[in-house]
Formats: sequence, C-alpha cells, structure tokens
Amino acid sequence: MDIKYINPFIIAAQTVFKTMLGISAEMGKPALKNANRTSGDVTGIMGLVGDKKGTVAISLREAGARFVYKTLVGEECDSINQDVVDAIGEITNIISGQARKEFEKNDINLNAAIPMVIVGKEVEMNFITKIPIISLPFYFSLDNDNSKEKEVIYIDFSFE
Amino acid sequence: MNVLVVDDFATMRKIVKNVLKQIGIESVVEAENGKMALDVLKKESIDLIISDWIMPEMTGIDFLKACKSDETIKNIPFLMVTAEAQKGCIMEAIKSGVDNYIVKPFTPDKLQSAIEKAKAKIGK
Repeated sequence: MDIKYINPFIIAAQTVFKTMLGISAEMGKPALKNANRTSGDVTGIMGLVGDKKGTVAISLREAGARFVYKTLVGEECDSINQDVVDAIGEITNIISGQARKEFEKNDINLNAAIPMVIVGKEVEMNFITKIPIISLPFYFSLDNDNSKEKEVIYIDFSFE
Repeated sequence: MNVLVVDDFATMRKIVKNVLKQIGIESVVEAENGKMALDVLKKESIDLIISDWIMPEMTGIDFLKACKSDETIKNIPFLMVTAEAQKGCIMEAIKSGVDNYIVKPFTPDKLQSAIEKAKAKIGK
C-alpha cells in the first residue's frame, strides 16, 4: 500500500488522541493482519468511498474503551454499555473525518459514512477492499500512570 | 451562562457538556433537534446555542435560519459544531447568519475561543 494512504490515518489518530483524549500515544510497529477480525473488544468501523475506497476500524480493549468514554464524557462506567459504544462510534467518526482532511491534501476526496460499532473479540469484519489490512497499534498509559500496563488502540485499515 | 446544546446523539451532547464544564460552564439545557430546541427557547432564557448540523426533524441549518429570522431570539449567539466532512456546508451556515462554527476534534480552549468569538460577533 502506498505510504500516502497510510500517513493520513497516522496523523488523524495522533491528532484526535491528543486533542480529544489528551494522550500522546506512541505508535508501535505496523503489522499486516491475516484475518478480517476485530483486534480489541470494542471496534468502530467506517467505510470510506470517493476517489478511492477503503475501510478503517478503530479497536480498543475494554479498559481502553472505558477510558475513552470517561475522558470524553467525564463519567465513570464499569462495563461496555450503549454509552461506551456510542462514544467509540463518535471517536471513529472524528478520526475518519480528520483522515479525510489529510487525504484532501493529496487531492483525494472521500465521502462520509456512518460508523458502525462491533462489541466482541475476534469478530469477523467485512472490509470492502481485496488488499491486506494494515494494523497500526498506538500505545498509551491510562490516566497518565506510567506504572500501569499500557493500553493500546488499534487503527486497522485497508485502502486502494 | 445558560447554554442550549442541540444534538440528536446523546453521547455527543454529553461530550459537549463535559467540555463546557472544563471551561466553567455548568448550566446546560439539552435538545435532540432543532424543533425541540425552538420549544426550549420559548420557555427558557438561553445565553448561547451550540448546535450540531445533521439532525432529524429539523436540521441545524434550518434551526439556525429559524433562530435568525425570529426577532426575540436572533441575538442569542449561535455556534455550529461540524464534523470535518461537513466543512463544505460552513459557507451555507455563514450565509444563514451563524455567529461562529467549530470543527471536531476540539479542545476546551478551542471551544472557549469559538464561544468568545460568537459572542463578540453579536456584541455580547
């Protein structure tokens, strides 16, 4: 996959994590996914169509998803409920919007879609492209506590 | 300051409320769409409107037009919140009299600045 299709997702993810969640997430090693399955417990998926086509999925483990909800809304939650699902849908929407802005800089115009959120591990996803899925892990500390195990947000996408 | 937050998405209303709280604004009234917001405006004294764009029943732009054509509420600062994908619609909002707009993602500082600019535009 051309680097010009990868950078918009990296820039979008880091911008949104910093702006909306107040975290400086460190990007890990990109990997190719062999299966179209969710990487975490809660996954927001957005189709992108226009000059090019693709799919982006933002996937978090339960603790990370609850952290996103708490940071965005200002309320604690004990489990993955509808409010958490909606918050992950919103963060997916914002990241994909930011990525579209970056694509525009390369004269690639993409249309908006409505995000879908899947709850569950290893759930099969339908990507609209034939090429392999790239998975970018972004690591961050919960509540800025470096003594805790780092959480991860996966940005999985395929674009052609 | 009493702020009316209009968004069909309950979580987004909570997110905006949380950001408002971070800049010291705790008095917030919510509405799910433009139609419900107009009902709120008839009953309550509102100092600032923060509205989403795409909503059922009455969209943000139709709500904006309704506000700016009503002598009793047209001087309430109106701030539109948009997603990046709706950027092209901003010109339409400006033509319809929006006092300011803010594109997601935004920080508390960015929202505060957008509110101040909206208030300044209307002379408040």
